[in-house]
Amino acid sequence: MSVLLTGQLVAAVLFGVGLYGALSQTNLVMIMMGVELMLGAAMLNVVFFWRYLHPEMYSGQMFMLVLMTVMAVEMAVGFGVATARFRAKGSVEMEEAGELRG
Amino acid sequence: MIQFLFVLLFGVAAIWFGVKVFTTASMMRSALALLFSMAALGALFMAAEAEFLGVLQLMMMATEMSIMALFMIMYMMSPGGLTPMEMTHQKRFSLVAGVVTALLIVSVAVSQFREPSAVAVAPAPDAQLRGLGGELLERSMLVFQAAGVTILVAMIATTAVAMRRHE
Repeated sequence: MSVLLTGQLVAAVLFGVGLYGALSQTNLVMIMMGVELMLGAAMLNVVFFWRYLHPEMYSGQMFMLVLMTVMAVEMAVGFGVATARFRAKGSVEMEEAGELRG
Repeated sequence: MIQFLFVLLFGVAAIWFGVKVFTTASMMRSALALLFSMAALGALFMAAEAEFLGVLQLMMMATEMSIMALFMIMYMMSPGGLTPMEMTHQKRFSLVAGVVTALLIVSVAVSQFREPSAVAVAPAPDAQLRGLGGELLERSMLVFQAAGVTILVAMIATTAVAMRRHE
């Protein structure tokens, strides 16, 4: 089996695991872990596409750096919200955050 | 062939630790499992001859997951999992959504896959660094700058949100 296809299959399973985590967990930090896994799967796809389809074009690596930025921003914003929530309610359980619903 | 074996090995490791994140009772173990999963991704990048991105991934994730573990300890009643707590909901729906999505992506990847006509040769590590540096400072400079400003804005906004309010 091709290395590119193997990478894509790993990324697909990793994305599924991350989606399961993001949907099933009630704790904000655990939800963020699910999102991290999904972003990791996206990064894996980007790197493998760059490597096995167009290694001469560096915009693929650039896209990977943008994804890393998204990951860092997601973590920062998530922990900011978690800290504010913990200060206000003493917990980061999203089951108890019904008032955040729009 | 060796490259394929390494990609398979680290791929299975990334998935295994990814599953462990949501199947262990201890929050600390979850954070560590995520760290190992991300480290396996970094190793996968290196196996695919993207050395700089692999090392970057390892360094960034080591820091990020250490911070995550710290927050775990701060916000959890029982970060070590000594008093088991139910922290899941809609498990069946989530499981179906995760499996269906993964199967959809797999079916698209397999059905649309065409073996590349020519074998793509990765540039040497130093050529990759030079190429990426050129890309960052020439064609993609605006994107690079926008990413930097976005991180700065996120840092300021996050600090503002998390600060104690004085009534």
